[in-house]
Amino acid sequence: MSIYAGLDGGSTYLKAALIDHTGKVLNTGVVSTGIDNNGAAEALLKKLTREVGIDRIAYTMATGYSRKILETADDDVSEITAHAYGVRVTAPKGYRPGIIVDIGGQDSKVIYLDGNYHVKNFTMNDKCAAGTGKFMEVIAQILETTIDQVGPLSLESHAPCDINSTCVVFAQSEVISLVARKFDRRDILAGMHASMARRVVKMIRKSELGGDILMTGGGALNTGLRQAFEDELMRDVYTANYPQFNGAIGAALIASERGR
Amino acid sequence: MEARRRDRFDRRQTATAEKTLRRVRALTHCPQALTPFLDTLSRVFVDRQDVVHPKGVPTVGTYCVMVPPELIYAQGAMPVKLCGGSYTAFAVGDDTAPRDACPLVKAVMGFEDIDAMPAYQNCALMAVPVTCDCKKKLAGWLQERRPTSILHVPANRDRDADMERFTRELYAFSDSLAEITGVPLTSENLSMAFHRLAEAQTQLSRFIDLRRKHPTLIRGAFAMAAMNAMSYTWAPSWTKQLARLNDELEGLARAGTMAVKGNQPRLLLTGSPVIFPNFKLPLLIEEMGGLLAADETCMGERGLYDPPAIVDPSLNGMMRALANRATRPCTCPTFADNRRRLYRVRQMIEDYRIQGVVYHVLRGCLVYDYEYAAMEAEMERLGIPIIRVETDYNEEDVEQLRIRIEAFIELIKYGGNDR
Repeated sequence: MSIYAGLDGGSTYLKAALIDHTGKVLNTGVVSTGIDNNGAAEALLKKLTREVGIDRIAYTMATGYSRKILETADDDVSEITAHAYGVRVTAPKGYRPGIIVDIGGQDSKVIYLDGNYHVKNFTMNDKCAAGTGKFMEVIAQILETTIDQVGPLSLESHAPCDINSTCVVFAQSEVISLVARKFDRRDILAGMHASMARRVVKMIRKSELGGDILMTGGGALNTGLRQAFEDELMRDVYTANYPQFNGAIGAALIASERGR
Repeated sequence: MEARRRDRFDRRQTATAEKTLRRVRALTHCPQALTPFLDTLSRVFVDRQDVVHPKGVPTVGTYCVMVPPELIYAQGAMPVKLCGGSYTAFAVGDDTAPRDACPLVKAVMGFEDIDAMPAYQNCALMAVPVTCDCKKKLAGWLQERRPTSILHVPANRDRDADMERFTRELYAFSDSLAEITGVPLTSENLSMAFHRLAEAQTQLSRFIDLRRKHPTLIRGAFAMAAMNAMSYTWAPSWTKQLARLNDELEGLARAGTMAVKGNQPRLLLTGSPVIFPNFKLPLLIEEMGGLLAADETCMGERGLYDPPAIVDPSLNGMMRALANRATRPCTCPTFADNRRRLYRVRQMIEDYRIQGVVYHVLRGCLVYDYEYAAMEAEMERLGIPIIRVETDYNEEDVEQLRIRIEAFIELIKYGGNDR
């Protein structure tokens, strides 16, 4: 059995995925992106292969910010292509993704797919971290909670606050002033999700809303954010399986095509 | 103080230009005959010397392909296309121009302000066609500082009245030229100038034919460097340089030595002007594994593609021919109706077997941005992927652009587009 690996060197975390020749996900892992990207990638792959009891990877594909410097990889591919491939594996059964909304650490992207999962078009946020995971992290810190609690807490809100600033830094001051005015942090968080969703939905072309909308990236783990997207789009939005690993899985899938 | 400011300007400006030239030279399959073009760019932007031209011939700064070079040569001067692509000059102009003004205009204002580029400073006259609001305000600003001729560009070009008006503009410009050169316009000197430019055009037509060959003989980044160099070269010299490049390319075609492997995605670059040293997009396209097969931009072949059609050989007939050539076939989005730009791009997609279109929008360049929607709809109809990239005159956005360009190239590569 041949094993293929995908590495996704993101801005915040380094993700890795192993798949077999049928596209089945065997193992995934994540570590913080440190200074030594390459060393971290090697160690992570070693750990993942040991856990599934194999010693040879047939082909490794890298994606993400640090894709060009990951020497352990045989080749690299852009995040856009990797994510488009990833959903072939990670889309929940029975769903047909037409749009991928990827909320990463420092960028968010919208990818449009055709009927064959090929990229038709894409848009990305530029020069701005609003609507990304970083934004969520900053606000979570101010509100003395953790990133995994942000979603559940916000779902308890009944009257979300208005957060109008589109810039992370300005939004941060806005949140601080909301805290000072003693607003419930659950309402602040719900407001933050609405503000992020508005930001990203602006990038989505309404004319292209064919097929299901699938969320990927670490941001997809946030149920509150997903609901904010649904409210903003007035549509169902689904979360991919292994959302955080979608890029890595996509890269591994391309590796399996290459290394065959 | 002023001297130190200029020193700093020189250092930064030189560094950007040199880096860009280095990246151009680092691309594979650089024809030997490209050297004189790169030397010209290096002379003007790195060594900061004046353009090479015969002694005693004044230079005239022009800001658009709508200023006919024939007229300037006829009256004993040399045109220098001064539309700015300098990040450093942009940074200077940024202090004066409003934030949302386009970087091209900011760069020109920077050059004017810093007084450090001989090719710019030595111009005896500036000719600014009013092709957008920014250019209009630029013209007014320049007029306060040095002799400037402002050409009113009609909003339409299909009615006779519009042509009459632009012909009158050219006559007025000709009067300004006579003031600085002392040479009045005659049918003899205009006719001579037509011949001089016709020779350049003959070589350009040869060049275009060679560029259309498949697989490709020359990278788009090289072709754009050669076309950019035209702005700063005495026309007969540029004609000779291009003839040598054409000879070399013909040799390569006979030997079957092509510039690139056959399977690289073939892209067309269109949109706002791409002016040296702002070669971000052409370089990124070629460095990320695409092939810039053609460009539909005003620093490219737009200004010289169509010959002036003379039906009446009198002086007035020739002037009308110039006015016609400058506006009617022009694909500049300054015109209200610009269907012809869509036709032109469609034609180029056929001619160059284009697989994807990169649409360049300089920040604040509204007219080009406006036309994106129509272009996108047309490409959708043709099944050609298109990407809009907005840039400014600095290097801050290079990484964001890189991922976009790379993903766009992959979209074509992996997309099962079998064109």
